Amino acid sequence: MDVRYINPFINSLINTLKMMMDLDAVAATPFVKDNSKTSGDITGVIGFAEKKIMGSVALSFPEKAALMLFEGMTGEATDEINRDVEDCIGEVANIVAGGAKTEMAGQGLSFNISVPSVVVGQNHSIRHKAETPVIVIPFSVKDETFVMEVTMKLTD
Amino acid sequence: MKILVVDDSATMRRIIINHLKQAGYSDIVEASNGVEALSRMSGIELVLTDWNMPVMDGLSLVKEIRHNPNFSSVPIIMITTEGAKEEVLEALRNGVNDYIVKPFTKQIILEKIEAVVG
Repeated sequence: MDVRYINPFINSLINTLKMMMDLDAVAATPFVKDNSKTSGDITGVIGFAEKKIMGSVALSFPEKAALMLFEGMTGEATDEINRDVEDCIGEVANIVAGGAKTEMAGQGLSFNISVPSVVVGQNHSIRHKAETPVIVIPFSVKDETFVMEVTMKLTD
Repeated sequence: MKILVVDDSATMRRIIINHLKQAGYSDIVEASNGVEALSRMSGIELVLTDWNMPVMDGLSLVKEIRHNPNFSSVPIIMITTEGAKEEVLEALRNGVNDYIVKPFTKQIILEKIEAVVG
């Protein structure tokens, strides 16, 4: 997959966490995913499509990282994943996908994004929209880690 | 000032309302879609609305407000992930007073409100 189409998602995630939560996210080396399992306890997924492109992005967080983001977004602490945290993770995924959409539109690649869906539970599976290799980008924020998965299929 | 905050995400409503309350705005009404928003327009002096929502989206809400003589002059700020130039122009053409692309900071929201209701 062309790195030009992964960078907008990385940029958008870093920008979202900085602006909405004043958190500095650091990306590690991406790798290709080799199964359908996610590494987190809660995952927000968004599909995107248009004539030239189809794909999806998923943000998967361990519980502690999800709770940290929830507190950063809302200013309120909670000690478990509940419906409010699910809504928060869905909204983070929505903002990240929206930011990537805007940057990619500037590169001449437009698409529409879906409503986010959120999956909760250990060792859950995610079915991505395109049957193409899934790129996993690990991130660290403070002492927590999480991953972003991106896959897309481009057509002429 | 009575402010209506419209977003299908409870998290986003909570963030915006927290910012407003910290800035001293206390008369705030919430809605999760355009239909709910229209039913809560009485006395509203400023609308902050998302674009992509179920039931009735933000652009349709803007059109409804602008075509209702009771509310047509109420200022509207759209707060959305739709950041492409064409979308911003479409919102402005349909009567949005100003436009905020998510993600945003508290400062951005408060500056836009000040500019619109001054």
